Formats: sequence, structure tokens, C-alpha cells
Amino acid sequence: MVEKSKISKLIKDLSKEHEVFAPVKRKGLVSFKRVSEGDETCLGFQNTKKPPKEILFPQTQTLFTFKVDKNGVEIDESPTTNRKMVLLGVRPCDARSFALVDRFFSSGEFKDPYYLRMRENAAIVGLACSHPSSTCFCMSVGGSPIGKEGADILLVDLGDSYMMETISEKGEKLIGKLPWLKDAQNIDMEKTRKLRVEAEKAVQSKVPVEGLSKKLDGIFEDSLWERLREKCVNCAVCTYLCPTCYCFDILDEEADGGRRVRIWDSCQFSFFTAQGSGHNPRPSGKEMMRQRVMHKFNYCVKNFGENFCVGCGRCVRECPANLDLREVIEKISSAEIR
Amino acid sequence: MNAIENSIREIAKQLLCEKKVESIIGYEQGRIPLRSTPCFVDRVEDVQRLVWNATCDINLAKYLTGRKGKTAIIAKGCDARSIAVLLNEKQIAREKVFIIGVPCTGIVDRKKVEEKLEGKEIFDAAVESETIILRGEGYQSTLPKKDLLCNSCVTCKYKNPPVCDVFVGTKTLESTEVDEFSQILPIESESAEKRWEHFKEELGNCLRCYACRNVCPLCYCKVCFVDQTTPEWFGRTNELSDTMIYHLVRAFHLAGRCVNCGACSRACPMNIDLSELMKKIEKIVKERFNHEAGISAEKTPPLGEFKMNDPQEFIK
Amino acid sequence: MNIENTEKAWEPKILAFLCNWCSYAGADLAGISRMQYPPNIRVVRVPCSGRINPYFILKALQKGWDGVLVSGCHPGDCHYISGNLVARRRFAVLKDLLEYLGIEPERVNFSWISAAEGEKFVEVVKNVVEKIKAIGPAERLVKR
Repeated sequence: MVEKSKISKLIKDLSKEHEVFAPVKRKGLVSFKRVSEGDETCLGFQNTKKPPKEILFPQTQTLFTFKVDKNGVEIDESPTTNRKMVLLGVRPCDARSFALVDRFFSSGEFKDPYYLRMRENAAIVGLACSHPSSTCFCMSVGGSPIGKEGADILLVDLGDSYMMETISEKGEKLIGKLPWLKDAQNIDMEKTRKLRVEAEKAVQSKVPVEGLSKKLDGIFEDSLWERLREKCVNCAVCTYLCPTCYCFDILDEEADGGRRVRIWDSCQFSFFTAQGSGHNPRPSGKEMMRQRVMHKFNYCVKNFGENFCVGCGRCVRECPANLDLREVIEKISSAEIR
Repeated sequence: MNAIENSIREIAKQLLCEKKVESIIGYEQGRIPLRSTPCFVDRVEDVQRLVWNATCDINLAKYLTGRKGKTAIIAKGCDARSIAVLLNEKQIAREKVFIIGVPCTGIVDRKKVEEKLEGKEIFDAAVESETIILRGEGYQSTLPKKDLLCNSCVTCKYKNPPVCDVFVGTKTLESTEVDEFSQILPIESESAEKRWEHFKEELGNCLRCYACRNVCPLCYCKVCFVDQTTPEWFGRTNELSDTMIYHLVRAFHLAGRCVNCGACSRACPMNIDLSELMKKIEKIVKERFNHEAGISAEKTPPLGEFKMNDPQEFIK
Repeated sequence: MNIENTEKAWEPKILAFLCNWCSYAGADLAGISRMQYPPNIRVVRVPCSGRINPYFILKALQKGWDGVLVSGCHPGDCHYISGNLVARRRFAVLKDLLEYLGIEPERVNFSWISAAEGEKFVEVVKNVVEKIKAIGPAERLVKR
């Protein structure tokens, strides 16, 4: 158990050996920032604007720098050395997104060292939801507002204090560094159990994801995509704010020698599939928007066994055209395919 | 449902029945409170979905470029001006678009509403003529609409469409006393150093999602400068230098074309107020070349022409 | 005599875009006439000031050039009739916008220099170098 008033101390203690990232409110926006004192930390929020993936999978990440001189090429990989981190206040949907994205980065013959190194050295302290938003639909996609998947510790808000539940070894090690934490009492466990039930009930938005993957198999060429994509402007808001979108591009840049940098990319950019010949297999917004839905609810199911959507609702809230992914799924679900 | 919505639906029905247009682009109720969403109607039974109110925030002219067939479009003042610019630039044919003009008293800025509510979630919202009524967990607030309008709307001088085929309702009274550039005066009066710090902070949050570019009806280039690699004009990272270049060049490309509809600011997920840049571009073009974008359907874009006596006080 | 390791004082690097028919010829005249001017400029010859894309100026600032000078024919004398007139509007908008954003106005300079104005070229260069020396190396738009 940790009292809300002691969160500052918690952060200070953890900062001794870790870089602590927590939600901070600045200019009306809540986002994960490095904190060393608890002053700015804001744990009374629904969800951050940007998902915490930006900490372990930075939008701009220098992979290595290089210098060329008469002796040859000198490569410096220090930008990606091991950093011990704690991500504090991650909602269960976002924590679950790490579990999903881990599968991508560690699949196949070549495992991504840049993400995995950071991930291994990062502890995720989840923060269960007691007031899910009307745009949250985690329950429909295999998640839960008090879910533990992807987290090392889970905090549950019990009013004056948080119940801390250790989930993994990493979590236990972290708790071990905080001997001043109080033990949970039976009454706290009861409260938590009750909250569990209430929180799950409070997720009102239900999205028909059952059988979606199979349905999508048969409708790639269907004309319904013309209708579905009509208002999409093909910006990258949904992909950049999505906790389970992980596409990236790698650039070499000139900078006192040079550097290789990895940046976020989006299937919604026409440049994403532009080929050297000038041909683009996804020539219009229709193909790009269709790609997003197919990838999240069909290709990833085939590749990783799960829908790559955690129901956080950011795409729904932030889409400039209010194109609601839930509505898209409803329409596909109920569409009659000839 | 208000009288204007009724008239819009009537006109839409008529246009479709008489086969005067193939489709109508308008707004319908959004899926979350305080939102509207674009609505594409090509069947008579769907005209009932069309709405018009202060949450109709996206600039529908965006959907006109490249559209096949004759289309009717609901246009508020600024949207109609964007259409005028598109017509000037020969991006759409006049006979292919039927403009249904609507009177506008300003669009609600959701970010200002969120700030007023200190982040509390809205369960439902009702927009009346002077107020907005918001309801959420444990609260109900009635807020004056005029305090929650987008910055571009606060100093709007063209509340009525300057070009349209039919106008629905009564014209809104134009504000003659408003200083359209009052928003940027405080920034202009600061030192260069302070201005840099201000824009560094404001634009530092930029996600480079290009929502601003993609909702803008005037950003219609098939290959945007962002996506050019031969040569590559600037990096696609989200580092400050690259982000600054992106916004600078986009503002430059919109000189004399941007009508300050505010769609870009409203689209930005990181709460960046792009009208601070766009208003300046508008001011530069007005003061130097006496040009206002989209006022009439027949004007050459200012950067596409020149006069022998153009101001050159900055040239040695 | 001891040869001391003296740290060289910072010298600004200025990129100059000169139009081939007037300004470049003017610069050439200055050279032929053995007029002395600061060595801080690096010249890029372009066919016309109208060729200058605002990107060139911005890319220069991003790369760390301390200043940019763009020079063309006087209005009415353009070899391509109206290249400099079209460019004039472009430059005006770019300069105002850069200044508004907080980039020091001394960094981006424009001039009309004809083929006969070798002296003017020298004056302009001296003036630009002096102003930029006073404000220090470029930092704001530089990509590190």
C-alpha cells in the first residue's frame, strides 16, 4: 500500500537507481515525462494524450553515430546503452500494449535490440482505471480496466492510497527497494475486489470484435471500403497515438560525420509504400485506411495471435474527422458479403 | 433541430430528387459529445442526418478536390472562402460544385471547453444559440458560447459565405469593429529571443502527424514537400529543427491562400494553436500586397504575380 | 620565437546565392578590380534570383550557416525579364515569417547588385559579415 501523499517519496526513492517517467500535466496536456520529484506528477487523469510507447520506442531514436577519418569508420553505439527506467502510472490498456508490441519486436530471426534492451530494463507500474471513459473499449478486445498483462506492479486507487500488487519478478525487486511501504490489510483487499467488478461494468462501449478477423478475410475487395474511408483524411493521428502501432523508418543523416536514426512512420503516409519505380501499391486513402483495419484485426491475428488493439480509445477521441473505429468495426461486422 | 437544419435537408432532398447533384457533403452528429463528423449523402432518405451547429468544425472543402461528379457542399463563411481559393487555383470546376451557404456564429473550440472543465469527461453536450450545456459525472455546466469559440472565429470578418449558390437562413451580422490580427499583436511586440522561446515551446510538442496539413483544403499537392526525397528538403524526425522547418514552409506555402478557417488548430492533437502562425501569414500578405484570400472567386494568388512597385524596403 | 597555439576567433560562414547575369558578374568585377572584402562568404551561382527556393535558405540555416545572402538583378533588369520580380514577393514573405518566428533578421539578407556594381558588392558583403559577427554563430534552426 502506498498513500497518495507518499507518491512523491516513491518517485524520489525510485529515482536513485532509475529514470522515472510519470504523467505530467502541462498546458492542458497530460503526457509521460521524466520526473525526479513527485510535484508535477498527475495521477488523476483518464489517459495520457500520447501512449507510453514513446518512452521505450522513442519517436526519434539515434541508433548509432559514426565518424569517418583516415583510419576508417568509427561507430559509436552509446546512445542506446542500458538505461534503467520505471514507467509509473501506465493504464492497463497501455501496459497490455507493451505485452503485444513485445511479440512484434522479439519475433522472427532478428530481434530488435534497440527496443528489447530498453524494455528489459524498464519496469511498468500500472494504474488501474476506476473511471473508464465512454470511448474505452478494452473489455471488447481482451483487456480490462484492472488488467495486469504487461505490468510489473499494478496500483489500484482506493481513495486515500493505492493498493500495490506485484505481478512479476521485476515488480518484486522494485518493491524490495521500498521497505517503507505498508502491507495491505484485508479491508484493502475487499475494496480492491469490489472496484474490480465496478470498473469492468463501467466500460460501457462494446465493440463486436468476435469473428472480425475471419470476416475481414473475405472482404478485402469489397466496395464497402469506399464508404468506410470517405471522411478519413489520412493523417497519422490514429497511428501515432495508438499504443500498438509500431511502424518505423530508418534514416541516415549527416551530422558531424553522421548518424543512423529511427523515426515513427505511418501506413497513412502515401510515402510509406512509395516504390523507387514511382509505383505505389496503395495509391489512395482507401487502400491506406483499409490497411490499418486489416493490419490490426486480421494480419496481426495471423502473425501474433491477437488483435493489435487494446481499446484505449485515443483514435476515437483524437481523429480530426471523428472517424470512429468502433463504428467501422460495427459496419464490417454487420455487412452482408456477397 | 433548428430551422436552418430543416432548410438544409429540404434543399438537399430537392437537389437529389431533381438529380441536380450526385451527392451532398455536409455534417452529421458525431459519435462522441461535442463533435460533428462529415456526412456524404447520395440517397434521399439520408438527408435527415444532416445537421448544422457550432460543433461543425472540419472544413468540408477538403473533400472537394479530386471528387467525381457534381457535388453540393454545406459551406460556412470560411469554408466558402476556401472553395473560392480552390476555384481561383483551378482545382475544382465551378460547374461541378453547388455551394449551400450557411450563416455561422463561430465554432466551439473543444480544447477551451476541456480547459474550463479541467479535464472532466463530458457525457453529453447541447449547443444552444448562446450557451453550451455540458453534463458529466457529478456536474452540469452551462457555459457562454462566446467564451469558447476558436481563436480564428473570435476575430472572423467573413461570417457569411462570399460565394454560394443558395444561402440558407438569415445572414449573420458581420463584426466591423474587430481587429483580425489582435491575437498576434502580443507576440509581434516581443523581442526576437522571446518569440523564439515562445514558438519553441508551442511547436516543440508537435507530433508530426500532419493532421494540420491533411485537414487543410488548400494542401492538395499530390506529393507534399515533406515526402520528397530527391532532394530531401528536411528530416522527418520530430526534433525541433525539422519541426520548425515543416511549419515554416507550410505557412509559406499557404501565404495568400489560407483563409484562417481554424481547421488545422482544431485538428491538432497536441493543442498547438496554429492560428498564431497563420494569422501572421495573413497579415504579411494583406499589408504587403493588399490581398485577402478567398473574397472573390476571381483573383490570382499573390505569390503567383507581382507588381513593379512591390515593397522592397528589406532589400539592400 | 615561440609559436603559440592561438585559438582562432569564430568567423561567420555566409552562403551567398548570386544570380549569374548581374550579381555574380558584379562579384567578379570586385575580384578583378582587386577590391578587398571579407573571405567569409561562399558563393553559389544561380541563373536567376527567381531560382531561389525558400528551402535553400532554410536548409542553409539548418545546416549551420551563420548567414545567407541572396542577390539578383535590379527590378526591370532581370535577364529573364521577371524572375527577380516574382522572387521579390517570395523573399518578402519569407523574411517577415522568419523574423516573426524569432530568427535574427540579420541572418537572411537580400540585395540587388548589378554587373557594374563591384563596389556595392563589397559594401554589402562587409556589411553582412559585420552584422553577423555581432550576433554570433547561428543556433536556433541548426540541427544537431
